[in-house]
Amino acid sequence: MSWEAVYLQQVINGLSLGAMYALLALGFTLVYGILELINFAHFNVFMVSSFIGMMALEFLGLSGQSHILTGLALAGVLFFAFVATMLAAGLLGVAIERFALRPLRGIPGTVGMITTIGVSYILFNLVLLTKGAGSFNFPNPMPRISWTIGGAVLDLREVLIWGVALVLMLGLHLFVNKTRLGKAMRATAQDSEAARMMGVDVDRVILVAFFLGSALAGAAALIFGLYYNYTSFIIGYTAGLRAFTAAVLGGIGSVTGAMVGGIIIGLIEALGGQMIAVRWTDVIIFSLLVLVLVFAPTGLMGRANPTKS
Amino acid sequence: MLSRRTLIVQLPAFGLAGAYVMRASAADKSVTIGINLPFTGADAHDAQLIKEGALLAIDDANAKGGPGGYKINVILLDDGSATAGQYDPAQAATNARKMVADENVVAAIGPQMSGSGKAMAPILSQGNLATITPSSTNPDITDPKFASTYMPGGKAIYFRTVTTDAFQGPNMANYMADTLKIKSVYILDDSGAYGVGLANAYEAQAKKRGVNVMGHDQLDPKEADYTTILTKVKSMNPDALYYGGVAQAGVKVVKQSYDIMPKMIRAGGDGVYGAEILKGGGFPAAEGLYATIAAPDLLANPDSETFIKSFAAKYGEQPENYSITAYDAALVIIDAIERVAKSGKPVDHNNVRDAIQDSQAKTLQGAVSFDKNGDITSRVVSVFQITHDPKSPDDDVLHQYKYVGVAPATS
Repeated sequence: MSWEAVYLQQVINGLSLGAMYALLALGFTLVYGILELINFAHFNVFMVSSFIGMMALEFLGLSGQSHILTGLALAGVLFFAFVATMLAAGLLGVAIERFALRPLRGIPGTVGMITTIGVSYILFNLVLLTKGAGSFNFPNPMPRISWTIGGAVLDLREVLIWGVALVLMLGLHLFVNKTRLGKAMRATAQDSEAARMMGVDVDRVILVAFFLGSALAGAAALIFGLYYNYTSFIIGYTAGLRAFTAAVLGGIGSVTGAMVGGIIIGLIEALGGQMIAVRWTDVIIFSLLVLVLVFAPTGLMGRANPTKS
Repeated sequence: MLSRRTLIVQLPAFGLAGAYVMRASAADKSVTIGINLPFTGADAHDAQLIKEGALLAIDDANAKGGPGGYKINVILLDDGSATAGQYDPAQAATNARKMVADENVVAAIGPQMSGSGKAMAPILSQGNLATITPSSTNPDITDPKFASTYMPGGKAIYFRTVTTDAFQGPNMANYMADTLKIKSVYILDDSGAYGVGLANAYEAQAKKRGVNVMGHDQLDPKEADYTTILTKVKSMNPDALYYGGVAQAGVKVVKQSYDIMPKMIRAGGDGVYGAEILKGGGFPAAEGLYATIAAPDLLANPDSETFIKSFAAKYGEQPENYSITAYDAALVIIDAIERVAKSGKPVDHNNVRDAIQDSQAKTLQGAVSFDKNGDITSRVVSVFQITHDPKSPDDDVLHQYKYVGVAPATS
């Protein structure tokens, strides 16, 4: 491979990683934007969702990489898997909000955040107890179709990942900016008290934020599974931490920022690994984060919000 | 409620009862063997297969009345933790302390992983409690150079029924140069004690054999994505990829290396020999992978036939080679307990350790004896290749790993 081809290949790898991180980062940002709460349960909502996705695919009779589907059957299976996983993940997020966080609403301090850490551990150990600790072979019904572009290989699954991520992010963008509920979300994010006075049902807005964020984590989890053909009870930590970093890098609370941050982290991971060494990846990512926070404390796209003290 | 007086009256009675219990257990004559393996985490299934091998020997011995009339109790200790997602050296150290503190424990089996072994050896040495590992192969632990670290008590306590990576890595480097005719290789390890040691030993010998080592990178085992590093490897186009490490990173290396370079020769040590690799890696990704074990191919030994039959009948699954080295480890301990009991000395951890040191126990790999550092005197490294047998379950180690030969020692 020529060096151009290698770098092109790493950019393709980085964009796939970035798409995943961006979807996951959106969940952190949506909840933070509205509640100013860092939802650590999100790490393991992602992990649980990958198991839900696996079960959805196995429910359709797929296992391992031996069942290859094409055309309509493939589209149908993937559509069902995405809908089922995102719905289940969204409901999980709603349940966490309703039963673990709502009773604590209004208590100042870090109680909410610590509760999310607790919920995260509960999910982690539930999966460990019920599914065991091994690595699972995630079913992948996609045929091995690939194109060679300038010496680099672009797989069908990569195109699919980018497509799904793009559609979901565009959908979220339109939802937040063009719908009534989206407007209510933005209002709540700016000033929840004023929004309540204007007749916005804040509790409902919060539930919607949790549902959307978790559903996107569900989509990210399914993409993760299809991309790596692998899942394990432990995947939430690294992916979650990177996505959280992406959200902070982009400006936590900012939807566009989360997308940009995710792509940047993905590209750094791939190109940094190529140019330096993979064991330095985390050092590079977190050094960049520190630099950004020093020079632009609100992240790349975040705005200091004057209405909040 | 008890008044003070009744309490005083009852105290001697409690004392008597305690003494009675102690006498009763002495009359029953029992000893305890601790088994320390990572039942939690990425290697849990293989830990299970190892445990079952050991228990098979112990249950047989108990059914025959126990060695020297001593009934053997087993305590199972888990050195895997949810936070590590695999073996956890900190937990292994805690378990070692637990075993040393328990006077009934006369010997131990385990650990599976060298990273745990490094944490346990100093503690076991201070307590003079012998353990026999059926699978951990890092040479440092029994190397006299590091005796002050791993053997502060002065006597060998870390015995093995497998040989070490001082042979496993270099012998595989020889095999790949001689038989697979590779001219260049890229090396990855999983940053763990075992993985780094194995990969370094392999690298040194590969260089000596004139194989071009194009790079050596370390992976974070918790990371999901290795496409970056594997793309880098692909761009250099080596003849082979060698991976030193255990299943947590191994499964992902197997899967993603197949996606990126399906035709490359891929090889690893005993960390990629096992059910977890088959189950998590799956086919076709795992097809063609070379793996070694630091022991002869015991499953092919005709003496093992009864073992395999009773193992499958008892546990409903097929054993792997390290089930047999665990079975052998248990046989060595049982034999040692019997010899101590017959000599009339008290059956405690000091005497059992000395008896293990002098072992000549007959096992499935022949008579097992140890050198003064605790290493087994036989030093065979066997090579396997994963060859899909669709008639057997995908995670059946016995039928999916095909024995292809002995990796030659460095002459």
